[in-house]
Amino acid sequence: MEASLGKKPVLIVDDEKNIRLTLSQALETLQLEIDTAVNGEEALAKLEAKRFGLILLDLKMPGMDGMEVLRRVRETRPDIKVIIITAHGTIDSAVEAMKLGAVDFIQKPFAPKEIRELATKVLDRDNISAEKAKGYAEHIELAKKCIGDREFDSAAEHVRQAIAADPTKAEGLNLLGALQELGGNRLEALKNYRAAIALDPTYMPATENLNRAANWSPKGDITLDEPKATDDQEEGKKA
Amino acid sequence: MANDLFIVIVGCGRLGSHLANQLSRAGHSVVVVDTDERAFGNLSPEYSGFRMEGDATEIAVLKQAKVGKADLLIATTRDDNVNLMVAQVAKTEFGIQRVLARVFEPQREAVYQRLGVETVCPTAVAAELFLKSIAKEGPA
Amino acid sequence: MRVLIVGGGRPVYFLCRTFLAKGHQVTLINRNQDECVQMARRLKATVVCGDGSDPAILEDAGAHGADAVLAFTPNDQDNLAVCQLATLQYAVPRTVALVNDPDNEAVFQKLGVTAFSTTRTIASMVEQRTALDEITNLIPVGEGKVNITEVKLQDASPVVGKTLRELSLPADSLIAVVLRNGEPIVPRGDTRLESGDHVVLITLPANHGPVLRAVTGETD
Repeated sequence: MEASLGKKPVLIVDDEKNIRLTLSQALETLQLEIDTAVNGEEALAKLEAKRFGLILLDLKMPGMDGMEVLRRVRETRPDIKVIIITAHGTIDSAVEAMKLGAVDFIQKPFAPKEIRELATKVLDRDNISAEKAKGYAEHIELAKKCIGDREFDSAAEHVRQAIAADPTKAEGLNLLGALQELGGNRLEALKNYRAAIALDPTYMPATENLNRAANWSPKGDITLDEPKATDDQEEGKKA
Repeated sequence: MANDLFIVIVGCGRLGSHLANQLSRAGHSVVVVDTDERAFGNLSPEYSGFRMEGDATEIAVLKQAKVGKADLLIATTRDDNVNLMVAQVAKTEFGIQRVLARVFEPQREAVYQRLGVETVCPTAVAAELFLKSIAKEGPA
Repeated sequence: MRVLIVGGGRPVYFLCRTFLAKGHQVTLINRNQDECVQMARRLKATVVCGDGSDPAILEDAGAHGADAVLAFTPNDQDNLAVCQLATLQYAVPRTVALVNDPDNEAVFQKLGVTAFSTTRTIASMVEQRTALDEITNLIPVGEGKVNITEVKLQDASPVVGKTLRELSLPADSLIAVVLRNGEPIVPRGDTRLESGDHVVLITLPANHGPVLRAVTGETD
């Protein structure tokens, strides 16, 4: 794990001391060099002085906010990866930040292991540029994350972008249908389930959703995934 | 005990806040959940963990606290039934290995130990310490 | 039957009355002293004042030997505790918990406590009624693993005029009973279905949709 990270230092930007501490402690065990900044101005100054590989960036800070820092980093140092730190319920701004080129986000509270896994994953994605990384698979992944957190509006936004990135995949349409059904728009949901089946008649989740939604069986769960193949599938798409 | 566990503490009263302060100081990542925001006033200034306002008997709140990623959950509210429900949900629904619950009523303790919840009963603990002390010193 | 009910408010009052009217013996446990006095006056039930999740109170109320314990307080955690204590400590054969947060229904089942959510029940009743007038979901059996559904056959139904043998219903489904003019017919292979028949279907969640479509002829 440690070897794959390389030795580029990490910059943590947050006005809250406890967040800086939690993140530093979590990442120290990865043998990474860690630096911290308490606001946007200090962050930009530190970026001038050192070649960082990764920034963990809080959006809400007094003075120059995270979004502005992100904008400047993208202009001057597009090679640096940025992970957004967000509070629960403010996922919209995190999505906004992803559009600006952040590679991922993490919601408070976070477990040390979670931080390490995310940092490792992001640093491992070296060969893909941040822009390209936001393709179909990433949006689907994000959408599911949003659904897990009950952030249905943001999830729908990701699904739409996923469909725009690759309109030939049944999974995207199925997810869109599921979200519409959760939002109470049953007719639109049915339409999308059918469209998903039309694209790929073997895609079972859409068939199951269509059967269930069309028959008002209240017990059935909305199916987002194929039972087990998901992981391999997503790995495959990323590669 | 490894020194960077992710620990969720339910209830930020005297016991909950004390545990949170100690565990946070020991280097663990701690989340404290309480229905009343004012309860977080019990946390020390050095406490470096997270605070979350919410009712832990709602699954949605436990999800938000990322209980699924926790190494340990401690239920310390003043309501035995809340503690026992949260503890069982953490175990069965979120699959957390280690779950501790405070239970005031000693009669309940036995039943919940049968359900696999590790309980601590302050009355029983105090009684035991008193008895030990008496046995050692003898009556005055 | 000896029934122990924990809770308060009007729903619990009427629940007690229903059980009493059917000749059951009812003991009510309620925390609120005033309400206990009220209930004791209005109901021919034994009323115990106290916390129903306290083993001492449950014992006072005669949990030993009760046939059923129903926990109907507004707090899910209390209802869970009552039912678990009743089962484990007093070996009560049947316990039911009301869950207020519908998410807890599945959680309680996992913890071995029979639970139901009025929110979910009402919502699904409304949904089913508005979905298709001629289909009535009677009961999910075995935690929803089997559905029993009643369907009234319309003229347009593709199964009208056919014998059961001629039907090609999906596998693992069954027409259990046909109600014709209110009379039940246990169907055989040569029973011919008529418009206006009420057929009672046994289905699994996996084939529920296809079976209903095959019987009603509707595609949506």
